[in-house]
Amino acid sequence: MIASKSSPSSEARLAGMLGAALLAAAAPVHGHDEGALDTLQLHGFLSQALVVSDDNNVFGPSSEGAGSLQFTELGANASLRPHEDVLIAAQVLSRRAGGDASDASPELDYGLIDYQLLSDQRRNLGVQVGRFKNPFGFYNQTRDVAFTRPSVLLPQSIYFDRTRSLALSADGVLSYYEERLPQGTLRFQAGVGRVQAGDDLRRTLRLDDFSGDLDPETSAIGQIRYEHDGGRIVAAIGTADVGAHFDSRQPGLSDGDFYFRPWILSLQYNAERWSLTGEYALRESGLENFNDPRLNFDTTGESWYLQYTRRFLDDWQWLIRYDSLVNDRDDPDGSAFEEKTGGAIPAHSQYARDITLGLQWTPLPRLLLSGEYHHVDGTGWLPLRDNPDPDETAERWNLWLFQLSLRF
Amino acid sequence: MIRRLASALGLLLLLGAMPWAAADEARVLLVANAGVDSPRLTRDTTRALFAMRQRTWPDGRAARIFVLPNRHPVHARFVKQRLSVYPHQLQLAWDRVVFSGTGQAPHRVATQAEMLEQIATTPGALGYLEREYLDDRVQVITIQ
Repeated sequence: MIASKSSPSSEARLAGMLGAALLAAAAPVHGHDEGALDTLQLHGFLSQALVVSDDNNVFGPSSEGAGSLQFTELGANASLRPHEDVLIAAQVLSRRAGGDASDASPELDYGLIDYQLLSDQRRNLGVQVGRFKNPFGFYNQTRDVAFTRPSVLLPQSIYFDRTRSLALSADGVLSYYEERLPQGTLRFQAGVGRVQAGDDLRRTLRLDDFSGDLDPETSAIGQIRYEHDGGRIVAAIGTADVGAHFDSRQPGLSDGDFYFRPWILSLQYNAERWSLTGEYALRESGLENFNDPRLNFDTTGESWYLQYTRRFLDDWQWLIRYDSLVNDRDDPDGSAFEEKTGGAIPAHSQYARDITLGLQWTPLPRLLLSGEYHHVDGTGWLPLRDNPDPDETAERWNLWLFQLSLRF
Repeated sequence: MIRRLASALGLLLLLGAMPWAAADEARVLLVANAGVDSPRLTRDTTRALFAMRQRTWPDGRAARIFVLPNRHPVHARFVKQRLSVYPHQLQLAWDRVVFSGTGQAPHRVATQAEMLEQIATTPGALGYLEREYLDDRVQVITIQ
């Protein structure tokens, strides 16, 4: 319930601020030939998926009957340039991925004012103030937009669904700097802000049984990205330092702190007809300062994937990907974890190896049809909410996703 | 003998130059509104403008980018020849800026005739045209 407790006030504040900015911007400016409203753009997307699995549930009861239709993504955004150096942009997102229908209530995905301090033939420098999307890896900033994904499900070892609230966005300031070199372009992004710490994080940390609030603390994120030769080769390295404080109301349990310090390395080669993409992440996370030592932990997880996409016949693309997740590098097969929990949580919950084959077809510029097959060994990224009893999960399982997406 | 050699060489040069001349003829030109005060752009800046990462002209004025549909042959040629990227990469770049709050989408036009009209009448406009579509209401920008 923390998400609904802490975010509406900050969301309302942000929305109010943006509303005022939009109004001010839309008012005709004296001395200019055209009103800022001429620059207003509206865009959106809608995606509906069918999720079918033989064992284990993903985004609703996917292993029952004909599968689950409880994976829907709907977004709409507006942007405006009231001045040549200023961009105002906001997006509302409604997303359901299993769980309750009420999860689909619209939320502010981003809402920001972007001011470009410097822009010439060599470099750009600017700041974004408000709620910005976290620049993490290749796909995080537009992770909910099917048209920007190579597959229906992003590689879950890095783009976790089960702690997605943490990765989504932050309320604060993000600065960016782009320098054009003779052979390529260097881009720096660094931000400070308050992330979201939703129910998903609390569930994943197994703090949902205790009464109290998990409140995000000021976090930092940074990325350096190099694009060689117009993006033929793209390389990026990024890191973040994210924290949250658990304010305990549980008798006998002290307050505690959560931390998450991931590093991610991204590489991509783009040819006319194919792309090869790989990302590698080390994820240090833990809980500390609880008086109950059974709650405290510190682990480093390891994630990587390698993906080949091939375009053919102008509007088709197929994909093959191997995606590997290990929750704890010191216990890659999960056996120590199973032992520690007295066998209550199986070893296969601590890793996942996913082979994916996918196909995308764009018959019209505004329409995307996708289908894919996953063979997964392990349940390391399986959404906990869809599978409340870890003991009932299958170690080896198969997953099919079909998705229709529209954009405007 | 020397004359024959020279003429053979001349013919060879001519033949060799032909494909070049043809390629140059087919080159899609970078075209801007007549009021724009930047007759030259670097290729990197041009690419950044069309990728919607750069929003202003070097003189600080707002740039308005116009593009033909992704599947238009002139779009594909311009993007590949002049920007050295592929149309699908550019489309992905637009989707990424539009749906992450970091930029706006370019303005779409259906034909080169419409492209010409829009560039001629929109302050700060930047687009591209084949030579035969040019008229004196717009200016050609050199890519350095």
